[in-house]
Amino acid sequence: MFYKQMKRYKGVLLALIPALGFGMFPMNANAYVATNRDTKTAPEKAEYTPDEHEDYELLLETGTVRYYWREDRDILAVVDKQTGYCIKTGADLPFSGEVKDAVKKLEKEGASNAEILEAAESYADDLNSTYVGIANSLITLEYYDSDKIKYISSASEDDAESELEKLEEGKYCLNIRFRKPEVQMKLYFTLLEDSIDYYIPCGEMSGSGLNSLAAIDITPFLGASGGRMNVMNPDTMEWETEDAYRVPGYVLVPDGSGSLIRFVDNTSVFNAYEGDVYGKDFATESSYSIGYFDDVPVKNPVMPVFGIAHGNGQMAFAAWANQGAEYMDIVVNPDGTKATTYTWAYPRFELNVNYYQLYDEQGSGFFKQMDEIYHYDIDMTYAFLFGDGSDGTPAADYTGMARVYRQYLLNTGELTLRQPEREEIPIRLDFIMADSKSGIVGNTRVEMTTTADVEDILNRVMEGGITNINSGLIGWQKGGESLSRPYQMKFSGAVGSKKDFKRLIEEFGEKGVDVSLSRDVITINRKMLNYYDTAVKCISNWYLSIDKSVILPDNVPTSLFSYATPEKTAKWIGQLADGISAFSGSLTLTEMPHTLTSHWSRDGVVTSLTDAVEMYRNILSEVRQETALNLENPNSYLWKYTDRYLQAPVGSSQFIFETDAVPFLQMVLHGTMEMYAPYANFSFYTQDSILRMIDYNVFPSFILSREPSYKLGDTFSANYYSTEYTLYEELIGNVYGQINEILRQVQGYEWTGRSVPEDGVVINTYQSGEKVCYIVINYTEHEVSYQGTTVMPESAAVVGKE
Amino acid sequence: MKRNSKWRKILFLPAMVFLTVQMSMTVHANQATSYTYAADEDKNWERTQDAYLPDKTVTELGLSSPEDLFIDEDNMLYIADTGNRRVVKYDIGAGRVAGILENSEMTGPRGVYVTEDGDIYVADTSAKAVLIFDREFHLIHKLTRPDAPIFADTNYEPKRVAVDGGGNVYLIGEGVYNGVIQLAKTGEFLGYFAVNDADLTFSQRLQQMLFTRAQLANLIDINPTVFANVFVDRDGVVYTATSGTHLNGMKKHSTNGGNMFKTAVWSYDNLTDVYVDASGLIYTCSANGYINIYSKSGEEIFSFGSYVTTVDISGLFTSLPSLAVDMDGNIWAVDGTKGYLQSFKPTEYAQTVYMAMNLYEEGRYEEAMSKWNDVLRLNQMSVLAHNGVGKAYLHAEEYGASLEHFKVANNKEYYSQSFWEVRNMWLQKWLGPILGIVAGLLVLKKIIREVDKRHGSRLAGLKRKAGENAGKIPVWKDIRYALRTPRHPMDCYYEIRRHRQGSVLSAAVIYILFFIDFMAYKTAKGFIYQTVKVEDMDIGSFVLGFFVLLGLFIICNYLVTSINDGDGTFRQIFMIPAYGLMPAMIALLVVTCVSYGLTYNESFLLTLVLLIGIVWSIITVFIGLQTVHDYTFGETIKSILLTVVFMVIVAVIGVIISIMWNSLYTFLISVGKEMIQNVL
Repeated sequence: MFYKQMKRYKGVLLALIPALGFGMFPMNANAYVATNRDTKTAPEKAEYTPDEHEDYELLLETGTVRYYWREDRDILAVVDKQTGYCIKTGADLPFSGEVKDAVKKLEKEGASNAEILEAAESYADDLNSTYVGIANSLITLEYYDSDKIKYISSASEDDAESELEKLEEGKYCLNIRFRKPEVQMKLYFTLLEDSIDYYIPCGEMSGSGLNSLAAIDITPFLGASGGRMNVMNPDTMEWETEDAYRVPGYVLVPDGSGSLIRFVDNTSVFNAYEGDVYGKDFATESSYSIGYFDDVPVKNPVMPVFGIAHGNGQMAFAAWANQGAEYMDIVVNPDGTKATTYTWAYPRFELNVNYYQLYDEQGSGFFKQMDEIYHYDIDMTYAFLFGDGSDGTPAADYTGMARVYRQYLLNTGELTLRQPEREEIPIRLDFIMADSKSGIVGNTRVEMTTTADVEDILNRVMEGGITNINSGLIGWQKGGESLSRPYQMKFSGAVGSKKDFKRLIEEFGEKGVDVSLSRDVITINRKMLNYYDTAVKCISNWYLSIDKSVILPDNVPTSLFSYATPEKTAKWIGQLADGISAFSGSLTLTEMPHTLTSHWSRDGVVTSLTDAVEMYRNILSEVRQETALNLENPNSYLWKYTDRYLQAPVGSSQFIFETDAVPFLQMVLHGTMEMYAPYANFSFYTQDSILRMIDYNVFPSFILSREPSYKLGDTFSANYYSTEYTLYEELIGNVYGQINEILRQVQGYEWTGRSVPEDGVVINTYQSGEKVCYIVINYTEHEVSYQGTTVMPESAAVVGKE
Repeated sequence: MKRNSKWRKILFLPAMVFLTVQMSMTVHANQATSYTYAADEDKNWERTQDAYLPDKTVTELGLSSPEDLFIDEDNMLYIADTGNRRVVKYDIGAGRVAGILENSEMTGPRGVYVTEDGDIYVADTSAKAVLIFDREFHLIHKLTRPDAPIFADTNYEPKRVAVDGGGNVYLIGEGVYNGVIQLAKTGEFLGYFAVNDADLTFSQRLQQMLFTRAQLANLIDINPTVFANVFVDRDGVVYTATSGTHLNGMKKHSTNGGNMFKTAVWSYDNLTDVYVDASGLIYTCSANGYINIYSKSGEEIFSFGSYVTTVDISGLFTSLPSLAVDMDGNIWAVDGTKGYLQSFKPTEYAQTVYMAMNLYEEGRYEEAMSKWNDVLRLNQMSVLAHNGVGKAYLHAEEYGASLEHFKVANNKEYYSQSFWEVRNMWLQKWLGPILGIVAGLLVLKKIIREVDKRHGSRLAGLKRKAGENAGKIPVWKDIRYALRTPRHPMDCYYEIRRHRQGSVLSAAVIYILFFIDFMAYKTAKGFIYQTVKVEDMDIGSFVLGFFVLLGLFIICNYLVTSINDGDGTFRQIFMIPAYGLMPAMIALLVVTCVSYGLTYNESFLLTLVLLIGIVWSIITVFIGLQTVHDYTFGETIKSILLTVVFMVIVAVIGVIISIMWNSLYTFLISVGKEMIQNVL
């Protein structure tokens, strides 16, 4: 189905390929050494020999692919009809014991070498029988044995049996019976034109061991690369160990804006990547008390999608969760982890958690799991991609993955295309109005910017020629951002009365500048309000406690925080929206859009993650009928209601095994909402950063104040090191000018491709109807030429636009 | 000086915070993977703008337990790849391996140093030698165990090596506690270049003082902290890193081995390496993944890194044995466990700070000020920059402008200097007119008095009458009496004893006024004398401390004196301190007000005023107690001492009750929770 939808890009991609081949050459030979914050050139072509699939049964043949099934190992093989390239859901490995026994038996029977060689199937050297089962399996279960997690797979040697049942053409059910723990489950899968849909209904899972389950892993070795095999040498008839062919390619993970983990032979052993989709649910962590430390927290996946690409534009898949995303982890084991030489990636759906049940404040307690597992259905789609995109279909790389996922979101109404209203790109200018610090008695407010200052600054920016502005006011309430109750509409008189704010917002509304009130509606502290019936209670029935003392100044009024329950958060959003609806057309929400927690009582779950998602979607759907929403780094379940995506990540968390950073998130969302980069004030104003904003098609944002920011030194906002407007007047013009000059030329265009002809040079393809143009971003220190246009060092240019 | 505030904070976290958390947070630092800290105005580490960002991660070299790094004049990085028994030469500019140094004699290379001539010195613990190779990797010399008799009993297993311009070799030897081994070019043992002191515990110090030589001989040997690394910069200055201590872990040595830093330098207590770049900046790293940068004079500039073992992220290390700095100022570090290289690029912020510091040191104050202003654009909270700008203004004799910067930087010493100048100028400008006005007023007063006399002293009468009327207002009358008490303590307290003067209400008002005065003194002095910021104060403890102590004194004194023939009633004892507080109260007020106009030079004046006020008050109260209770001098002393002892006893009992109550409360809560959990 995706194939047909993508046909319309054919012309563009046909134009792109030759252009890449001939248009680009470096003007001198200074090498650009790429880091894991860059995108590197595409992988090598994968070598392969089309297989006969003798041990497989053909399940379905579509216009694009053939689906095969191997009953004894529970493996689905997907074969590109055009090239014969095959991706299997499992590693397709025999159990070593079976092979060895067969060989021994033949040797005993005096069979010929040819017969022995035929039986001597190569087997994995670095996988034990449990791992061979996992490597082959469609489903692997994780279960608790005391406090430890163990694995059992549907393709296990002895511990499970499975049976494929055909329901109708292209629709199958795999009935699996696990013996220890004793669990029966059904995996339904539907084979489509070029995609597979897996469905696991929780209602059809049963067995005495059900509640000991920790997680379900789906096709853990789909598209895996690597391995070390024991192969029988036909000359010596001895087993010899050799490395299996390492497919050139990568895993795409939604870490930050998107990141690639290439298949490389690591010499070091790393910890696995475990991307908790929508962030960790702190309410079900092992402890109720959580602390920040000196390391910057990793970026959580905001969307339940990942993918694997083989070769250079040969075969790939993108996989996403249709249901169960809030319980999903994306796990990647780079080569070397878990003592295997494979790089393997899979979705993990959490069913139970191990947590510390406290008795008292001294910390006495014990570890335990929930009595009953989570109840939710799992639905995953795997869309397969073939070729380099020259036929108009999405390419078998991360750009193609972005396109099919985007199409899925457009089809389901989660995203809607919209045309930009203005020719120039927008800029985000947030203002820090006030915050609180400790005073002689109680707390003192530190006023940073008044409404009159905002008016003055915005007017000056507009006089400087920037007119497409939107703005958020932080700390507008009495008590500032950190000590005022999230829902209260009491204005901080010293920075402006309600009347002043109303006048400011209306005045600029008439000038086309959207000024909104900004609020964190989820982070709370005891100085702000009582936790009773407000703060999230953890699974251990203790209030969630977030300790920020390491990263906040010593003398702030409090360094202990918590989150409000989803119910309260949703209620407060409604109250805020009601309060401002009389004079403001938009609302800015921070923290909440990327924070998802459940809420518990001693009787069990009060608000599950699924309930919380539903609550947030309902309230934002309601609010958005009247008010535009500016959301800070929102999770995908809120994209439907997002008008402006603030603080969009540009880059990844920089795991060592991540080899490239890519604008996957931006490619998925481009043209459906405005996306803004993190504040340029803080280490994001250099030429390299400006180019990255152009490359990732995100708009600049700044946080400003009238007063010098050292006044914030003893407040919660002490990390706003530099915000005084007078210091940024010039920089705002410069950064905006450079980005606008390029990106305004592709306003209203669709971003259809991205390629890296050499390290440090990126070509982004944009299309509008029949019109095609390219943005060439040159991060290197040498000039490059593309289609006759010379792009200066460390600059960007639009090519092909009349 | 709280150098390790973040560790202090961590220690106070609840015991069960044991998980490493990956939580979402507003994206500010876009590329940084750990927070950067700099010393704030109170010398605590506080978060600051990113100074370094992780840049290149090189995983493909196949390193195994690498231990040491060095970067030569050609920007080549040498890695002592201990586990693979080789030294890897890595071309930083090209991003590829430039050569592998392997030799059959090299069996455990753990330290590497390259001289300006290109000779490569390799400290080999396993070969028990320092191997010297030329640029082409030919073994040209080998420094084996020195044969000096003084060295005979010492372990010779070179672990780290450095070489000065004269060819002298500095070695850190495995298991050598005596210090840095210094060898001549020829391998001759020259002695121990620097020695660390043994850190003695209190009991060990006592033992050292009291034990006989024979007893001391029976004790376990007390070894000094061990050097972890040695470095020689291009000027031949030797630096060492020592693990096991927070203070003086990093030293810059004079030619005789002494420490050149005037004040002790704070560092992490598990330092593994020290490195100095061409501009004299000093870099250290610690085993648990922290990198610190210091100025030439040992002033702390930045600290970054974190200790994380559950995730592998660029810029965070499982173990960090060594670092080096390339020609562009990039830091290169190596993970000793996972065997990959990681570089860090200085941000514009860090580079500007360094430039400004250099310019200032070179005496180019105006240019330095411009750079410091650039730093302030990037981080308006930078204490370094505010100090820098302030000093530059000071040199330019723009004293007024410097004041604000010294204030933000909390640099009271320099603020005082600038303020002295500002005040001086102000006095020069205004002293004449002020004296004129004062003289004029005095003359005017005289004239009015004379005129009034001639017209029947109407004004004087009115004044007297106003005074008499005021004397009739109850509380005001008593407060005036309190002003009189310190001048005539015996008479006044006698009147109180006879119930002729004083009231409980007035005493209470005086206590409240005194407390307000005291709080003003604590919180509102001039910048130079306001040593603790209001935000850092615990106001609750002042309120509690003041009133609890006062209450305790009154109650305890009453109890003590009532069984010791004291005549004073409870009401009178309540009044005694109040009526004696005026001198202290006035002194506090004067000090608070005058502190705005004085510099450090005149601090003795404030001390004197405060001392007089307090001593006067104490004497007054003492006389008050003596008079009211009708005690002799000796009896008064005795009753005061007994009061203090009783106060201590009450306080101890109070603490015990409080602890027991807490335990009881926790117990009851636990029982309640248990009941709710299991019974209901």
